[in-house]
Amino acid sequence: MSSRAAKVAVREAATTVLTVDQLHIDRLRSNRQAQTIVSSFSLSVAAGETVAIVGESGSGKSMTARAITGLLPPALVAKGEVSYGGRNLLSLKEREWRRIRGREIGLVLQDPFTMLNPVMRCGRILEESTLERGLSRKARRTAAIARLSEVGIHDPSVVERYPFELSGGMRQRVAIAAALARDPTVLIADEPSTALDVTTQREILSLIKSIQIARNMALILITHDLRVAFGMCDRIYVLYAGSLVETAPSAALESEPLHPYSHGLLLSEPPADYRMRELLTIPGAVPSPDEVADSCSFAPRCRWAAAACVQAKPPLEQVVPERLSACVRLHDIRGEMAAVRDRATGEVHAAVAISDEPSLIRVENIHKVFRRGNRRVVALEDVSIVIRPNESVGLVGESGSGKTTLARMLVGLEAATSGEIIIDGVSASNWADLTQKQKRRLRDSVQIVFQDPYSSLNPTLSIGATLNEAITTRDPRARNVSARAAELLDAVGLPAAYARRKPAALSGGERQRIAIARALAANPRILICDEPVSALDMSVQAQVLNLLSTLKRTHGLGLLFITHDLAIVRQMTDRLYVIYRGRIVESGTTAAVLDSPNDPYTIKLMASIPRADVGWLESTRTIGTGLPQVSAHSARSNSR
Amino acid sequence: MTEFAHAAEPPTTRTRRRGRLGVIVIFAFGVVGAVTVMAICGSLIAPDDPHAQNLAVSLAKPSHAHWLGTDSLGRDIFSRIIAGARTAFLGPLVIAAGSMVAGNALGLFAGYRGGRVDSFIMRWVDLMWAVPSLVVIIVVAGAVGGGYWLAVLLLLVLTIPFDTRVVRGAVLEQTPRPYVEAAKTIGVADARIMWKHIWPNVAPVAIANSFLVFAGALVTLSGLSFLGLGAPPGTPDWGLMLAEGQTLLFANPVATLAPGAMIVITAVSMNLIGDWTYEQLAGRGAER
Repeated sequence: MSSRAAKVAVREAATTVLTVDQLHIDRLRSNRQAQTIVSSFSLSVAAGETVAIVGESGSGKSMTARAITGLLPPALVAKGEVSYGGRNLLSLKEREWRRIRGREIGLVLQDPFTMLNPVMRCGRILEESTLERGLSRKARRTAAIARLSEVGIHDPSVVERYPFELSGGMRQRVAIAAALARDPTVLIADEPSTALDVTTQREILSLIKSIQIARNMALILITHDLRVAFGMCDRIYVLYAGSLVETAPSAALESEPLHPYSHGLLLSEPPADYRMRELLTIPGAVPSPDEVADSCSFAPRCRWAAAACVQAKPPLEQVVPERLSACVRLHDIRGEMAAVRDRATGEVHAAVAISDEPSLIRVENIHKVFRRGNRRVVALEDVSIVIRPNESVGLVGESGSGKTTLARMLVGLEAATSGEIIIDGVSASNWADLTQKQKRRLRDSVQIVFQDPYSSLNPTLSIGATLNEAITTRDPRARNVSARAAELLDAVGLPAAYARRKPAALSGGERQRIAIARALAANPRILICDEPVSALDMSVQAQVLNLLSTLKRTHGLGLLFITHDLAIVRQMTDRLYVIYRGRIVESGTTAAVLDSPNDPYTIKLMASIPRADVGWLESTRTIGTGLPQVSAHSARSNSR
Repeated sequence: MTEFAHAAEPPTTRTRRRGRLGVIVIFAFGVVGAVTVMAICGSLIAPDDPHAQNLAVSLAKPSHAHWLGTDSLGRDIFSRIIAGARTAFLGPLVIAAGSMVAGNALGLFAGYRGGRVDSFIMRWVDLMWAVPSLVVIIVVAGAVGGGYWLAVLLLLVLTIPFDTRVVRGAVLEQTPRPYVEAAKTIGVADARIMWKHIWPNVAPVAIANSFLVFAGALVTLSGLSFLGLGAPPGTPDWGLMLAEGQTLLFANPVATLAPGAMIVITAVSMNLIGDWTYEQLAGRGAER
């Protein structure tokens, strides 16, 4: 904490390098009224300072970043002022922008998989971003290697490689090296770690942070994850539906948010180190800025909304020095919000009653090998797990660990290379060998909810048609199909009228509810949830997690929860398996494993969870990319 | 996450492009509509009998009596163009519809099943592509004796692999999507997955492709008639009229240029309608 206080003091002395004042972004449409993307946004950042813009999808945060770098799509127009070096950047021409971008303001984007030109070698990408003319080939190569070593890539052969030959984390490093190649004064990082695994996320964030400190750069981090913002930033701007609702120093925001939206966002992010009594959800979904143009943008979803909130747009006003909030009722509800926080963050100890019922799913010594041409890829190696009825089991691992392959085997989308899967007494190692009757029995036992609700529903079928198909496929003689469909919709908390809609008309959270309803049509005893909330916004995540908890209680549903997110595992499961490179490395009750992990990989995972304390990012800096040793462990135990 | 937000909003470029194409698309529909009416009614709406010869007025210039003039046998060019719409329309229609049905079935099957079924169908497709189609048609037509419907049949067989390949490509893109896997895990039968789940999602490509096939078939059939391998001599047929008029191109240019222009305008209109249909269908369901 003392270092943060020191930083704040430094910031006041330091000069502000970039200010954004009353930024307004519109999407122009040929024959209709312009659509607002961002209604008002102001920000200032000083050299050496880190600020975060936190918001959900649709909040306008990415478009704000693009406006600051002059990269708005053609139909979007920004008004207001972005001043840098005494100039208003918004009035620049494209040719003038090229002097600013990269040289003055660097940009790192979210997706390292599409950001780098796939037909260019990494060295070429770096050379292009420096654009120094007249250097010999050898000198350029040396410069590129030096750039790479700055971002922690010490292997000089990487300059000869193509982006597809690198892992996601390596690509993001190359992208960072390219963004930093001309020593910008301001770096904007738009969700730089969202597409990466937790352990890689920490490495990338700590890399950005250390370079920022070394160069005394101003850093604007755009993220949806409050905890990442707490760990990285000095100040936080909370953006909601195109307007700022709160700005505050990180520590102050973490201890007491002063706007119901930041309050709700904070509470809907589950903590990894204890199980919350309940996940507080924010009902509904993010509105478009135009829907809430003349009222508080959060009023439609706010439990404390009153007449005053919808009469006019509440201004962003100073509450205490350094803290601004756009809530007009703040003084009335501040105590209530604190009370809600105390209640919700109360810790519960899950009643760990490991049942000794016979297992419903038994996976024994499973191997899975994929053949790609001459290459053999071992996806799973000697994996054994057990799931009993009514049990919530977590399967935790990073991308490529084989966790999804295991899920796909359990529902018959892949066959095991060797080993045995027994579900409800039926041997299900290879579904192709089963009779129709056996397959039906398996489908009645196990169903699956996929990760991405945007592609798991057929876009051409209405919701009703999707559910009816699930019902009649299970029982071709089913009567009252539409009544049953309405029942399923009700079970997932949606009105029956949704049956007439198409998936495109639904939000991500609603689509995931439909996917759950479709799986429930078979009345399964175990529901496999493959990263069911990782594609959803934070406030919606909590809704879906709570729905799953409710279904577990009311339908006696067992869950196999597959995720990379330890916080979710903590909230949702009784027992867990940790999977790493196709092997189960640790298992046990959730509380026991997470409180005192034994396997080095589990320890590394635990240390990677974003935390507000300084140790979170520092522990990797000393260790680099290897497994953490004692120092990481002690940093973890010092937290909270 | 922001990526999804973009997908939810309709891309502005598409609407703009659609707006700009408006007039041209209306024109294209007008042309195809007129050709359709001409193909159905044929000589009923022609001002003269397209077969009636009148050597007294052979090679007449366009006039009030003969709008587009007459050919070397004194037949009215305008009437022959109207009557010729039938062979210009019917054959390509049969080819486009037939290859759409067969090509979609084979493409769906190959793309969805994969493995050996896919290899078998696609190797057949490769084989058919390797065969020089014009040579095959000339040889077969020469051996069997030619004729319009033989040419249509041969073209149909040679077009099916083209449709199969296009549809299979689109199906391959859909098959690994989670909505297909979700249907499998609830136990939906394969035939139903192909027909109810995958086909509606590849339909924009399949249908738009059929318009292109139609246009291509129109041009090829006209070409075959021109070479004497299609419609029998004397039939009012655009390709045949081109062939008959070519020696008299400078004596009576309209008699040759008019059927040629009809082939080009109809084919281009069909292509434009194909593009337009694709935009409409693809815009109907959001991509995800």
